[in-house]
Amino acid sequence: MLQKTSAEVGGMGHSVKRKEDLRFVQGKGTYVDDVRLPRMVYGQMIRSPYAHAKITAIRTEAAKNHPGVLAVITGQDLEKAGLSWMPTLFHDKQMVLATGKVLFQSQEVAFVVAEDRYTAADAAELVEVEYEELPVLVNPHKALDADAPILRDDREEKTNQIFHWEVGDRHRTDQELQTAPVRAEVRAVFQRCHPAPLETCGCVADFNPATGRLTVWETSQAPHAHRTLFALVAGIPENNIRIIAPDIGGGFGNKVPIYPGYVCAVVASLQLGRPVKWIETRSENLQSTGFARDYHMTAEVAAEADGKVKALRVKTLADHGAFNAAAQPSKFPAGLFSVCTGSYDFSTAFCEVDGVYTNKAPGGIAYRCSFRVTEAAYLIERVMDVLAAELQIDPVDLRLKNFVPPDKFPYQSPLGWTYDSGNYQAAMNLALEKIGYRELRKEQKEKRERGELMGIGVSSFTEIVGAGPAHTFDIVGIKMFDSCEIRIHPTGKAIARMGTKAQGQGHETTFAQIIAQELGIPVADITVEEGDTDTAPYGLGTYASRSTPTAGAATAMASRKIREKAKKIAGHLLEVSAEDLEWEPGKFYVKGAPSKAKTIQEIAFAAYTNLPPDLEAGLEAVHYYDPPNLTFPFGTYICVLDIDKGTGEIKVRRFVAVDDCGNIINPMIVEGQIHGGLTEGLAIAFMQEIGYDESGNVQGGTFMDYLVPTAVETPNWETGKTCTPSPHHPLGAKGVGESPNVGSPAAFVNAVVDALSHLGVRHIDMPITPWKVWQILKEKGVAE
Amino acid sequence: MAIRIEKSFQIQEPLESVWAFLSDPRKVANCVPGAQVTEQIDEHTYKGLIKVQVGPSVTDYKGQAHIERLDHDSHEIEMVGKGQDVRGKGSASMKMTGSVRSLPQGGSEVVTVSEINVVGLLAQLGARMIHEVSNKMFEQFTANLRRELEKERSKQSGSSASPAEETGNEPQPIKALPIVVSAIGEGIARSVKQIFGGNKDP
Repeated sequence: MLQKTSAEVGGMGHSVKRKEDLRFVQGKGTYVDDVRLPRMVYGQMIRSPYAHAKITAIRTEAAKNHPGVLAVITGQDLEKAGLSWMPTLFHDKQMVLATGKVLFQSQEVAFVVAEDRYTAADAAELVEVEYEELPVLVNPHKALDADAPILRDDREEKTNQIFHWEVGDRHRTDQELQTAPVRAEVRAVFQRCHPAPLETCGCVADFNPATGRLTVWETSQAPHAHRTLFALVAGIPENNIRIIAPDIGGGFGNKVPIYPGYVCAVVASLQLGRPVKWIETRSENLQSTGFARDYHMTAEVAAEADGKVKALRVKTLADHGAFNAAAQPSKFPAGLFSVCTGSYDFSTAFCEVDGVYTNKAPGGIAYRCSFRVTEAAYLIERVMDVLAAELQIDPVDLRLKNFVPPDKFPYQSPLGWTYDSGNYQAAMNLALEKIGYRELRKEQKEKRERGELMGIGVSSFTEIVGAGPAHTFDIVGIKMFDSCEIRIHPTGKAIARMGTKAQGQGHETTFAQIIAQELGIPVADITVEEGDTDTAPYGLGTYASRSTPTAGAATAMASRKIREKAKKIAGHLLEVSAEDLEWEPGKFYVKGAPSKAKTIQEIAFAAYTNLPPDLEAGLEAVHYYDPPNLTFPFGTYICVLDIDKGTGEIKVRRFVAVDDCGNIINPMIVEGQIHGGLTEGLAIAFMQEIGYDESGNVQGGTFMDYLVPTAVETPNWETGKTCTPSPHHPLGAKGVGESPNVGSPAAFVNAVVDALSHLGVRHIDMPITPWKVWQILKEKGVAE
Repeated sequence: MAIRIEKSFQIQEPLESVWAFLSDPRKVANCVPGAQVTEQIDEHTYKGLIKVQVGPSVTDYKGQAHIERLDHDSHEIEMVGKGQDVRGKGSASMKMTGSVRSLPQGGSEVVTVSEINVVGLLAQLGARMIHEVSNKMFEQFTANLRRELEKERSKQSGSSASPAEETGNEPQPIKALPIVVSAIGEGIARSVKQIFGGNKDP
């Protein structure tokens, strides 16, 4: 049980206002594009208009002769330095600048550097590239056909298959599906979408020829990993590289990979000895950097006649584009997709995934998602609804019948995960009560009789976050621990640094709250700093809801190390043995004599002024936390919507989100996270897709086509919470930032399908646009 | 992005003179907005360029056109063309068949079927606009064609053409943005018409 601190201290459970917002709301943040260095020059990328083409010539003379142009770098130039290809974060390599051929529209072909941004853009138009078009492969279902063009002729394996991966009991699952009284199946595409962060990617690379040091200001969610990769790939000693990730305007996984633009800026700075800035345009960001999803999935469920589920079989085709630039743990080609049995107690399951290359932008990254858990949650929540429709059972009753019961935790899933804790019924019951589920079903029945279309969609998702335990989790070999270093100053104030990097999550507040909780130092007295590899301890960064499960735990553990030392100092100051002391947040006191006490501030001062003879000076600690397991947040989301039969327009009437992320650090920030993630989920369900035509032209490459939700489209979100602490996390916390994006798409889609289920509709692929709905209404003869 | 466009128009000129004009790629190119034939490679192959302006940047599609079939008996022509912008904005290719027939009440009718494939920047920008854009281009093309045919007739009937007009063959780029804007305007006007005037005129 956590002791509640005072509001002034602001430990866990307090809705402390976000410390970082003070500068953000005043426009005083420092983003990469705000970095302006003396003698700085600008880079502009030249990109391929073709999805698949041979490069027959690149002519750079005109651009080089343009006034103000300092350099034009091509793939051939990089080849000489051994840098024309770079490793991706997942066992593949990617062209930095194309040599020989291009493999997707908007691929990086050449890099112009000029005195200012306008000159660079003008000069980019003077670079002439001749192409010879090659057959284009867009449809992943055709990637493995005998007549498909082999895209990656650089590889030894002459196939478009990247990997085949499977887990579970194929034989038993097949048997169950053959003999089961009831089977349900869904084929669902989780469309290619893009995180589209408010700030696009960019960097300022500054190589100082005098010191031999390279400093890179970079939009990076994982600055330390980037430093190590730069050292390994470019051969610069790691002590001579400093990565600074300043304020970041949203990442959502998009800012985990290393992009060709960063490498080109570094190469240009090495070549010119001047700082080089490169900032993407919006279209460059949408068309070339890490996309998400693009999973083409089939799920089949075997069940008893009463709806009790038995087996789950999942077969998936994963479209990774031209390079496998997935950013995920090395041992998991399909990420944590095998959590696809979800919240339900299947006795057996089998899951297989084939990854393929196509002529599309490379990826896929985990968009506000713990490595494919979003695809998994969507699939299982969809197929459960299909099963409910087949059996004509209420989807809520079907879920309640099949939930993993609370007494079965820690629960061993048939695909190999150990769920730490859960109480799915509790979250479901609260959501049902909040929304008035049974009354809504009555209303729906009446409306249906009148010919009106109303749908109720339920999603009871389970997440898997906090990667992860060192025995299983690494990225390019680096174990997925995370870290915290805390220094308490003589006046009792503190600074803490982590290996994570916030992009809007509010770490400067929440990590301070953890220290406040553990040491009783007020949040106002604690500075949290992240993102500078020269000062922060090594860590793998922020994505996959891992900050609280890993760095948050490290912060608690480092605080506890400090408390241990503080106890010795307190004993010295109070002239009692340390064993005779009791702790309450902010002070040690003598057992049975609470007035004999020393505050943490008094102890901190003594750590520098009045130490016991056998103790080192100072009061600081560092901790690298290796989580024993992942954490499994969960929740139930319910969506109620109405469909206009004249236009196909969907109006979300109500949306209740009940989340359980264990113990909460800051309820206000959690609620903000839920609101943001639900809004993104709404956009994915109804508005967003990075599509391609048959020639490989991007069809969602601008905000004209890739729609971003505003307040106008966003309904009122209603939230609720239950609390089932993680048994293995030092604070009982689980991580929450991604739950709403993971859990909500299924709730929206289930609601639309539910509104149309009496017409025989069982599934609609996202994005469910009014046009798509109207076509169905017309086909079913109910359009007005 | 592949699209198929079928167009026809009528013209108060005899079949022979229309056919004589249409079967000469140099003359046809003069009527295509922004187009220019720069070189004849052989009897049936020509090099040329089309300038398209999107906002401030002018794109030069350089390429060649080849007459696959020229049937003077049935008055049919089949052409394939392909152009590439060397500044990296993409390419366009086209297969066009055209035929002329004389109308019973006099004059002739030209029917064209074009299959166009656009790759690159324009294909991204204009995905929903390309039909409207091609309508505009075709309108300009037929207007130019009428004018040219008229010019030829008046030349034959003795009136002298101004020499300045003859030499003025530096083509002006097609301004895609104004075309797009006017196409949007047309789209809106059409929707308004549909709402207020029923949907008999799609």
